[in-house]
Amino acid sequence: MMASVFSLDAVYVLTGVVLLIFALMTFVDRGNPRRVGSGCFWLALGVIFALGSVMPHWLTGLLVLFLVTLDGLGQVSRGAQPTDQAAQAEHARRLGNRIFIPVLAIPIVTFAFALIFRWSGMDANRGALVGLGFGGLAAMFAGLILTRSGARALMNEGRRLNEAMGAVNILPQLLASLGVIFTAAGVGDLIAQGIQQIIPANNLFLLVLANCLGMALFTIVMGNSFAAFPVIATGVLVPLIIKPFGVNPAMAAIITLTAGSSGTLMTPMAANFNIVPAALLNMRDQHGVIKFQLPYALTIWSFHVVLLWLLIKVS
Amino acid sequence: MHVQDLLKLIGIVIVLAGFALRLRTTLVVVVAALATGLVAGLPLFSHEGFFQHLPLLTKPGQTGVINTLGRAFADNRPVTLFIITLPAIGLAERYGLQEQAANLIRKIRAATVGRLQIVYQLFRVLHGVMGIRLNGHPAFVRPLIFPMSLGAAQASGSVPRAVASGSITTDNPLATAHGTNPVEKIKAANAAAENYGNFYGQNLSPVQAGILLVSGVMQGLGFKAGGWDLVKYTTPVVAASIILAVAQFLWLDRSLDKAVEVKQ
Repeated sequence: MMASVFSLDAVYVLTGVVLLIFALMTFVDRGNPRRVGSGCFWLALGVIFALGSVMPHWLTGLLVLFLVTLDGLGQVSRGAQPTDQAAQAEHARRLGNRIFIPVLAIPIVTFAFALIFRWSGMDANRGALVGLGFGGLAAMFAGLILTRSGARALMNEGRRLNEAMGAVNILPQLLASLGVIFTAAGVGDLIAQGIQQIIPANNLFLLVLANCLGMALFTIVMGNSFAAFPVIATGVLVPLIIKPFGVNPAMAAIITLTAGSSGTLMTPMAANFNIVPAALLNMRDQHGVIKFQLPYALTIWSFHVVLLWLLIKVS
Repeated sequence: MHVQDLLKLIGIVIVLAGFALRLRTTLVVVVAALATGLVAGLPLFSHEGFFQHLPLLTKPGQTGVINTLGRAFADNRPVTLFIITLPAIGLAERYGLQEQAANLIRKIRAATVGRLQIVYQLFRVLHGVMGIRLNGHPAFVRPLIFPMSLGAAQASGSVPRAVASGSITTDNPLATAHGTNPVEKIKAANAAAENYGNFYGQNLSPVQAGILLVSGVMQGLGFKAGGWDLVKYTTPVVAASIILAVAQFLWLDRSLDKAVEVKQ
């Protein structure tokens, strides 16, 4: 019983319910010029969240096509909800630092769940996800008690933030799915083969360069260094560097992984790190985060090449 | 390499073209996924249930692209879980969260935008050391770090006071007084501090996903790469990631200060 209440599936259902409430409010929002399309979008996403673990995959797949068609036709938009800055300043004076309680509840509960999962021998990362869900729920209750508002106001504020981000919300999930299909189609092997054909096998510096470049480029394409690492490790790092030069595998592997992280900083395909935050902060330029990170990413990537080369040289 | 193989890269071409032409990203990504699957010879649907009677859409023994898309989308729900935190954050914002975060930071004289990003990045590296991986953009950046940064910028005069926390709606004309907009720069720095701290800091604990992945892949390839060994060899990169960030964020402080001088 406890196990099923504090499970990832319970948190998915909870999030699905929140999305369904957003959808219902959007359907009746006269301030939204596309309220039917927008409502359908959040409704379908809510259904996928709540039932995604039990629905047949083809149905989820068709619902995903429905989601992107709605967005593609420009049917997803936001309602008009003006913010009253004077009222906010007044509330800030009245509530003072107590207003931080609900917001801090989220990371604290997340952290607590991760620790409890670890101590009971379960996956701490899964614990953090479950904790994020229950942290969100705890924060809602804390907010309601503290501000003495109603559930309608609570959900309306959530909907305001959600609609401000819009369909970008589902982009990370779509991109992860694209990665799965790339892998199923064998795109990674193709890239590793290409690198093997270009690089002379005896020049250590060029091999290190190709390894780090391949890792960064493939991460830029996949949007995820974790997806790129197995491909580059299998196709380039192990056969061309570790085996022939007798390199310490732990050292070469972890430096290759973070060479990929430098790629993550440069790519819109890593939407959850670069595009969603821009939406979350209402930035004018969707690529503003990437532009800021670009000089940093190029510098630290070059550092990876030199570091890996030097560490192999001196060992 | 055969032509058939090269055709599989069509998904990458579609994505690049879609980004270049600024087409609707969600649609571009799904079209790229479907095209890649079909070019690789995968059927639209798996050969099961009533789809067995649709010979054009299925192939016996192969998983359909739509099925793979649905399963992958459902499996990746964790990246979108942050939606459940939005009601509480939205409500707290309505009751002056951002205003109060800015008030708090204005009282700290030493606080600048750049220094605040450095402190936040170190805080996120600390999460990595403790083995905690979480998405800091909704949990910390939007509700706390952005308004605090804005408060610090207002205290130093690089952002006008009238651009209160409300500038999160960027429509505020005061925010775009001169060419490069300091508020937009601050937002980018907030997101970057989160990414820098998260990406490089998370490998500092042997229980983290990245370390487990590397360890597992290397084992599969016949090499032993223990968790603590991997942590040891990532420390120079973590050090570099912090030093570089300090440089970039202090540089940001300078450019924000210059903007103030220009105005005066």
